[in-house]
Amino acid sequence: MAKDAEKSTWKDFIWNSRTREFCGRTGSSWGLILLFYLVFYIFLAGMFCLTMYVMLQTLDDYKPTWQDRLGTPGMMIRPRGQAMEISYNTTNTETWDMYIKTLDNFLSPYNNSLQAEKNEECTPDQYFIQADSGDVKNNPKRSCQFNRTFLEKCSGLDDHTYGYQAGKPCIIIKLNRVIGMLPGKDGQAPFVTCGAKKEDSDKIGEVEYYPENGTFNLMYYPYYGKKAQVNYSQPLVAIKFLNITLNEDINIECRIISNNIPPGSVRDKFAGKVSFKLRINTKG
Amino acid sequence: MFEMNGEVDVKMKKKKKIKKKDRLEGMKKEMDIVSVIHKTRRRESWREYGLTSSKAAEVLERDGPNELLPPKGTPEYVKFARQLAGGLQCLMWVAAVICFIAFGIEFSRGTLGCFDDLYLAITLITVVVVTGCFGYYQEFKSTNIIASFKNLVPQQALVIRDGQKNQINAMDLVVGDLVEIKGGDRVPADIRIIFAQGCKVDNSSLTGESEPQSKTPECTHENPLETKNIAFFSTTCLEGVATGTVINTGDRTIIGRIASLASGVGNEKTPIAIEIEHFVDIIAGLAIFFGFTFFVVAMFIGYAFLEAMIFFMAIVVAYVPEGLLATVTVCLSLTAKRLARKNCVVKNLEAVETLGSTSVICSDKTGTLTQNRMTVAHLWFDNVIHAADTTEDQSGQSFDQSSETWRSLARVAGLCNRAIFKPNQESLPIPRRIVVGDASETALLKFTELAIGNMMEYRERFKKVVEVPFNSTNKNTLMLSVHELEDPMDLRYLLVMKGAPERILERCSTILIKGQEMPLEEQWREAFQTAYMDLGSLGERVLGFCHIYLNENEFPRGYKFDSDEMNFTTSGLCFAGLISMIDPPRATVPDAVMKCRTAGIRVVMVTGDHPITARAIAANVGIITEGSETVEDIATRKRIPVEQVNRRDARACVISGGQLKDMSSEELDEALRSHPEMVFARTSPQPPSSPPLIIVESCQRLGSIVAVTGDGVNDSPALKKADIGIAMGIAGSDAAKNAADMILLDDNFASIVTGVEQGRLIFDNLKKSIAYTLTKNIPELTPYLIYITVSVPLPLGCITILMIELATDIFPSVSLAYEKAESDIMHLKPRNPRKDRLVNESLAAYSYFQIGAIQSFAGFTDYFTAMAQEGWYPLLCVGLRSHWENVHLQDLQDSYGQEWTYAQRLYQQYTCYTVFFISIEICQIADVLIRKTRRLSIFQQGFFRNKVLVSAIVFQLLLGNLLCYCPGMPNIFNFMPIRGQWWFVPIPYGILIFVYDEIRKLGVRRHPGSWWDQELYY
Repeated sequence: MAKDAEKSTWKDFIWNSRTREFCGRTGSSWGLILLFYLVFYIFLAGMFCLTMYVMLQTLDDYKPTWQDRLGTPGMMIRPRGQAMEISYNTTNTETWDMYIKTLDNFLSPYNNSLQAEKNEECTPDQYFIQADSGDVKNNPKRSCQFNRTFLEKCSGLDDHTYGYQAGKPCIIIKLNRVIGMLPGKDGQAPFVTCGAKKEDSDKIGEVEYYPENGTFNLMYYPYYGKKAQVNYSQPLVAIKFLNITLNEDINIECRIISNNIPPGSVRDKFAGKVSFKLRINTKG
Repeated sequence: MFEMNGEVDVKMKKKKKIKKKDRLEGMKKEMDIVSVIHKTRRRESWREYGLTSSKAAEVLERDGPNELLPPKGTPEYVKFARQLAGGLQCLMWVAAVICFIAFGIEFSRGTLGCFDDLYLAITLITVVVVTGCFGYYQEFKSTNIIASFKNLVPQQALVIRDGQKNQINAMDLVVGDLVEIKGGDRVPADIRIIFAQGCKVDNSSLTGESEPQSKTPECTHENPLETKNIAFFSTTCLEGVATGTVINTGDRTIIGRIASLASGVGNEKTPIAIEIEHFVDIIAGLAIFFGFTFFVVAMFIGYAFLEAMIFFMAIVVAYVPEGLLATVTVCLSLTAKRLARKNCVVKNLEAVETLGSTSVICSDKTGTLTQNRMTVAHLWFDNVIHAADTTEDQSGQSFDQSSETWRSLARVAGLCNRAIFKPNQESLPIPRRIVVGDASETALLKFTELAIGNMMEYRERFKKVVEVPFNSTNKNTLMLSVHELEDPMDLRYLLVMKGAPERILERCSTILIKGQEMPLEEQWREAFQTAYMDLGSLGERVLGFCHIYLNENEFPRGYKFDSDEMNFTTSGLCFAGLISMIDPPRATVPDAVMKCRTAGIRVVMVTGDHPITARAIAANVGIITEGSETVEDIATRKRIPVEQVNRRDARACVISGGQLKDMSSEELDEALRSHPEMVFARTSPQPPSSPPLIIVESCQRLGSIVAVTGDGVNDSPALKKADIGIAMGIAGSDAAKNAADMILLDDNFASIVTGVEQGRLIFDNLKKSIAYTLTKNIPELTPYLIYITVSVPLPLGCITILMIELATDIFPSVSLAYEKAESDIMHLKPRNPRKDRLVNESLAAYSYFQIGAIQSFAGFTDYFTAMAQEGWYPLLCVGLRSHWENVHLQDLQDSYGQEWTYAQRLYQQYTCYTVFFISIEICQIADVLIRKTRRLSIFQQGFFRNKVLVSAIVFQLLLGNLLCYCPGMPNIFNFMPIRGQWWFVPIPYGILIFVYDEIRKLGVRRHPGSWWDQELYY
């Protein structure tokens, strides 16, 4: 009995034919309340749009308002491999072919012809500052050439396999772009240095840096943002392992050495440094 | 006797099979057994020898110690486990388990930030356990109060064993023991009296009757509670001595059985418990519904199973108001504390609110409505009725005391009196002093002490020669004594006498008028009759007083007066006057009853007194209002038989215990429905049909929320059955206190009214607190919904949500409990428990879809601001999630072409959490301000009147700052030090909330009953 009563009240709640109520409200009641909420939300959405609009008006198109998180620029390698792990077999082309393709793709904008066409030659070893004069923006801003040939043996021009086939792979290192960053003071350019982690230190062998000493030339800084500086070419450093121990995992860490880049957060493994694992197999 | 016990045991075993519902019936049967017991044969030899020690030890072994065992409670760990397994708690356990699983999987993958899941799981478990501990502690504390009451009186008993009297611990008494009791002792077990001398016991702890009962060896009644030869465990022997055999010990005593009956009566769920349960069910249901829906949606969109599970967990965490139960508990205990300061100790926290929804109070008369002490109310002398001062503190008007007759009357009243003050009480005010003696003599002693001065010394001056006390056994309704006069030269003796007025008058031949002895003519007899009737109709107990100076020659000094032979003049006396006494109402009661009436609460009086007395007191305190008539009144006025009166015309009704017994429950319901003013008089205290229990059940059938006051053990079933049982702290028995939800420390009815007021206030304020607490669940939930559907970087993390729920918002929500009432809540009717819900549709809709929605928009505005100002434009954020959360992507480009590592993005995400958190906080400040009132403008209520709320807001801001700017927070609670500007982004929305709510309230006030009022007033 009780159950029946309960059932009927449930049914009554959903559709009460006597009072013509659906879920406890009549049609006109539903209409009114929905209309109220419609108006309410339109108003809210309007207010949201207004505040967002006001906020967007405060933004500068060329430079973010704050750069709180970007004190220490991140570093990254190419090719990235699977989860910062580069391993291949010299005898098996397929295992390293994708690295070659990645590098080819990555370096194609740096072809000398393209660079010459779009960018200009700047004075090295000094910041390439293009200041705005007051409200008049000095846009678009010009960029300096970074020619693929700067990477010499790692440019992939002479050796199309970037040394992968020979077991002397090239890894390209880049420093994350941060608007307005000046990565060295007193004319001292930042440079990259790589080393193996402790237990692997004798296995890394000789490492060569291109451009010389692994420096990022100061003329590529500061960066003015993708809108002002459309053709910006990010400077690169390539490292080549000349006689790395084969058939073993080797943990390598590269870090940027600069006199004004603060050491990044302990928790950020990619702020001002980059670690990766390299394994070159020779046996089939 | 032992066979009888065996039978009882069989009965007990049978009883266990009987369902709880039938236990009342079972109780009746057991009572019959007791009445058989008291008729069993006596064993004369015991009278001197008692039991042997070995036999006693044997019986003790069999029956167990003579003590009331507390009702078998659930084991402590079960109680604790129950606290951990509520609806919401279970959800949180599930969420914690999901967190653990997620942590396990992510940890094995070595993901950065996987420890967040572990922290979250630990936090969730901590929350559940801490709230559990809190609830458990509350429960534990309330039982502890009872334990402390119980330990108050350690009992000793004088027992005769092996022919020797020994003082032993009452716990060691066994059936068959021979015990002696004397005035002042507590009866150590149920005993059958085999010898008594002037023994009177106070059964008030058992039956609530304050009149002492005399105990004699005769069996005078079938009913064990009525018969004179059984004294009950826990009652007090007032005077005299008695010897008896123990017939029942421990839980088998009457009191023990009533207690166990009481524990068998189902405890009604309190209205607030029903409300909260109802609401928690809905919340839990919705949380699962939302969680599951988005789990399915997430799976459908293509998230991995683990991710979808984490979404489910996050939605549960976001939607469940974790801090709510704690808030409710704290609010209730704050009120409980406030009440405790006003002499109401609340055992069961939820009872605080119950009192607010009470619509009927069944009040015991003695001690609750009245002062529980006989006091002289009126005097009749010189043919005038004089009113005495009956107030507790003697602040009232006194009568003219210049008459000579008054002096004589006072002398008779003072001398013909056996009551004495206990020594060393000189510092106490006279009404508070403890007196040894019966109620009316006590009243007279205190009265004369107040009027004349030191009575002890006064009596010294009139040296007592002989006295013949009241003796109920030889039907002597008079008391007389003979005194020497204070003047040593006057050698006459003075005989003073008091007693039932008509019997006194019979013995008088003269009457004192204005100090002159006049012959007792017919005119004076008529005047006496009128005065006697008048006083009687006030429900007062009237005593007559007379005296005579004995003839010096007939009774010279040294005459041997013999109290048995009565060898002296006892007629032809001189009538001095009448004194009437009553247990007067407490001064605060009429006012309190009036308040109850305006608050729409019916007060029903239940008393063991005579209907006339009951009626008089009821009229006196306003339970029966002026002009209300009973059926009998109408009959007398119209001079028609009672049967012809239309029962509906009578507002008031006095029902005696006998009538009640004969009424069917339908008749009682009908009577309660048709007569708003009810008094139940001369109710028999027998427990199986305990009148309060019947009345409570009847009221509850009529849909009322019933409060019952009581003090006797026999009240405990009714106390338990009632929605809120109120026990008396001073007069109340342990069993009553155990069964009650609340204890009135001062036994004062007026305290109940305070309780009602506080209960109503807390209901209103809980509504506000809950509305406040619920609101923020929407801005906590929407980030996840947007995150899942639009794939923006997560705006608000689970740990941040928990910080809002459990840290910053707790204090403000509790502070709403300190809010003053918006209107005069004592002029409203009690809430209808079926209609006026704690959380109703409009409260939820307003909190969730309006204020909650505004808060969500505020949060997102601030979120997008923080993102955009750091380089991530809103449109870029949409769909960014998979890249944003890619652990291996260390150079993700923002809107300006800058490249971000994963950790940088993660800290940016924490910044977003913090910004969203701050937005919710700012909006919640506006929210707590608007929640101060539901109808009035906040300007009418006053911004700063609630100091606690103001400090709560300050606290909230400080805590918010601490979380944001304390070093180390990013890696512990995912809070980042945010830019000061971002604190101001949500402020327009805060103002919007405030202004919008003021508009809402204005509409509600201006247009009561309108669509606006119906939809937006919660």
